[in-house]
Amino acid sequence: MTADSPDTPLPQNTRAIMTFLREHAPFSSMDDPHLAHFAENAKLTFFSDGEEVLSPEGGVVKDFWVVKQGRIRGERFSEKENRAVTTFEISKGECFPLAALIGERPTRTLHRASGDTFCLSIGHDAFVTLFAESETFRDFCLRGVSSLLDQVNQRIQSTAMASIGSSDSLDTPLERFALRAPIVCSPDLPVNEAVARMHENNVGSIVITDDKQQPTGIFTLRDLRMLVAEGVDSLSKPISRVMTPDPCRLLATENAFDAAMLMAEHHFAHVCVVDDNNRLIGVVSERDLFSLQRVDLVHLARTIGTATHLNTLVSLRADVSRLVDTMLAHGADSGQVVKIITTLNDVTVRRVLELNLKQNDPGISFTWLTFGSEGRQEQTLLTDQDNGILFATPEGMTEDQVREKLLPFARKVNDELAQCGFTLCKGNIMASNPKLCLSETEWDDWFLRFIDASTPQNLVYSSIFLDMRAVYGPDEPLRRLFGRVLERIAKNALFQKMLAGNALQRKPPLTMFRNFRYLSDDNKKVLDLKRQGLAPFVESIRVFALANGIKAANTLERLDELAKKGVFDSKDAGAWKESYSLIQAIRMRAHQDMLADNEPLTNYIDPDDLNPLDRRILRESFRQAQRLQQKLELAYQL
Amino acid sequence: MFSTLKQWIQAKRNTGSGIDTDNLPTPKTAGEQDLFNARLIVLDLETTGLNTSKDEVIAIGAVAIEKGAIYLNDQFDLILRRPDLDIRETVLIHGIGPEALTQGQETKEALVHLLEWMNGDPILAYHAEFDKRFLERTLKAQLGYSLSHVWMDVAELLPAVFPKADPKGRGLDHWSDLFGLEVSERHHAAADAMVTAELTLVALNAARKSNVKTLKDLSQKLRYQRRLQKMKRF
Repeated sequence: MTADSPDTPLPQNTRAIMTFLREHAPFSSMDDPHLAHFAENAKLTFFSDGEEVLSPEGGVVKDFWVVKQGRIRGERFSEKENRAVTTFEISKGECFPLAALIGERPTRTLHRASGDTFCLSIGHDAFVTLFAESETFRDFCLRGVSSLLDQVNQRIQSTAMASIGSSDSLDTPLERFALRAPIVCSPDLPVNEAVARMHENNVGSIVITDDKQQPTGIFTLRDLRMLVAEGVDSLSKPISRVMTPDPCRLLATENAFDAAMLMAEHHFAHVCVVDDNNRLIGVVSERDLFSLQRVDLVHLARTIGTATHLNTLVSLRADVSRLVDTMLAHGADSGQVVKIITTLNDVTVRRVLELNLKQNDPGISFTWLTFGSEGRQEQTLLTDQDNGILFATPEGMTEDQVREKLLPFARKVNDELAQCGFTLCKGNIMASNPKLCLSETEWDDWFLRFIDASTPQNLVYSSIFLDMRAVYGPDEPLRRLFGRVLERIAKNALFQKMLAGNALQRKPPLTMFRNFRYLSDDNKKVLDLKRQGLAPFVESIRVFALANGIKAANTLERLDELAKKGVFDSKDAGAWKESYSLIQAIRMRAHQDMLADNEPLTNYIDPDDLNPLDRRILRESFRQAQRLQQKLELAYQL
Repeated sequence: MFSTLKQWIQAKRNTGSGIDTDNLPTPKTAGEQDLFNARLIVLDLETTGLNTSKDEVIAIGAVAIEKGAIYLNDQFDLILRRPDLDIRETVLIHGIGPEALTQGQETKEALVHLLEWMNGDPILAYHAEFDKRFLERTLKAQLGYSLSHVWMDVAELLPAVFPKADPKGRGLDHWSDLFGLEVSERHHAAADAMVTAELTLVALNAARKSNVKTLKDLSQKLRYQRRLQKMKRF
């Protein structure tokens, strides 16, 4: 990088700049050759108080800047106050403008010197060299951009994100963003009525506007929580008394990243989007930003949903894997990613069914059921088929006659799904199995026997039937069926206890001394993330959910419901959600790695391959699984 | 910078031309060049003492200002090879001991390289008269070089541009304290040149705002400042 050999010392001024850099992050943890490269290629510029340093008119940002002395302030024009307002300050040792530099665009904020200021800067070539060669520097530049999105998955993200200048959908202007129509009210509306309006519309925030439709305040569920916690004297006082006045707002032309940064900075979850006249257009929530990748998802789902040949569907599977990669790189959490994989899998299953119905319609109304991980919407790229059929018996036909028509059809669908990458189920839990292609009455009988006559042994294999969902066809028959199943389970304490005992069969892989307990005793240090890591969560939570009449099949949703019903302490539920998600995230990252290396997908990992931080987190997650199992033991006196 | 000097010397040796003092860049005059775009040299010397007719240059540090910025890849920082010199009186000030002087750059080569690197551009220094006399005498003695360069004194420039400033003294330290500048290593030629250049950036920034646009404007302003000082004295 630098041509100087060790025996020729660097010039004094170059060394002095390195000394300055070393006092500030991220340079403090960068290697000397990289610092030398920075210093040798730096220039020092002076700006007097109030002078412009960077402006939106200056074109695409090429230089990377560090404040050496003095301060830089970010300035934006506020329509409301009709003057420029300071949006941020950058002081000694801090770097700018990261977002514009990484996004390869002009800055959106005017950067002005605040007091007499000296800045160091390096040009684009030196920046690109450092970005490529120094991992610390690269991480810093990227984390600055995605600090909001990667809190949980930062470690996963940094490995997945490799190239600079990749299209970043965070640059999407807010106006192109799917903005929900904002829920608004006037300042004099009583608090309880405002909350009722939020509830009706199922939103987390309400914006208080004046007669010119300009936002004057915002009120969120968090504010309500605080209000209640502090002891409400009256819910009939006007909302203007309790709202957060002067809510943060952005122009529709500003982008998702601006919104993300604003939220990250101020720790609020909603930002008002206004037009040039400061009139409210919509509200962007944190959740909207997290699901930004829907843009790609929607496109991919549409392509799958309109494919006309099986071959097209088979080839689109590669795109699903790529989307997962991008999502992980953008810091989406694992709960979202598995749901998206499930969604795309659902679209694929539906399309295979539709294509087959077009060719050869058996003429029977049926609901395509999925069980297990697909039923829980927790599929990863490694997935096998667990499905069944719930059919309506037409007048004048016997159930066996219906099966005669449906089974060949189901066989073909199962085979074609296998071609799409859904492995055939070894246990024959598939719609083409006559025992799983049943009418509503038959399914009722099946579950009756299952619940009232189960033995611990057969439960091990059949508990996945309790995670059930309709993928195609009418929902209603399944809802009726599952309602009856839940009633029966609620009444059958013995079944619950057996289910609980079954859930305790799989222990989290920790030894008494909190070390990892490996799958087998031979030399290989292998953990099975699915069976040893996730299963203890899935199975314990299933018992609690079914016993409490919760219809959701998804593990995270079940946790939410259980917390809502007060079965779990909300802090516990939060910790379990986080632990479960982290194991899932590590599993998914392993899958992506295996895919990249053209290896067959498995759920096995060697914890020594993880970095120390991941290992620690994994161990803590397993410990949380132990706590959950202890709660189950206690509840059922096992 | 060091590596470029080595390459330069290597190139000279390879062509066998030896030291060529005939084709050095011609010194520029302070004319209508745009002050902002012109390249300016900011220089500082370390010497064996303060007597301009007896003492000798032992280290040269310089940086270049261009377009309102100091470019770190365009600087000059070296100690001369002058093992014969008596440095007993000043070694404690500049910290350059006998060993460093033995290992320094061959003086003639270094001076030719300095002239090439300066490219005839105007030279600024703090108390420039001192550096000017030392450098001119050394160039004459070592190379027989006697072309005169445009010199400007940063010690004059600062009070000219900031007439109301009160730096509590007339030294480099006083002005750098006033602007909150830190010198990485005082009495190191290159570090002193750097802080002088930083003060120059501040001064040029202010000068531009008071309609000083060309090198000529600047040299006139300095001449006016000198006259003002003389009048004050009488």
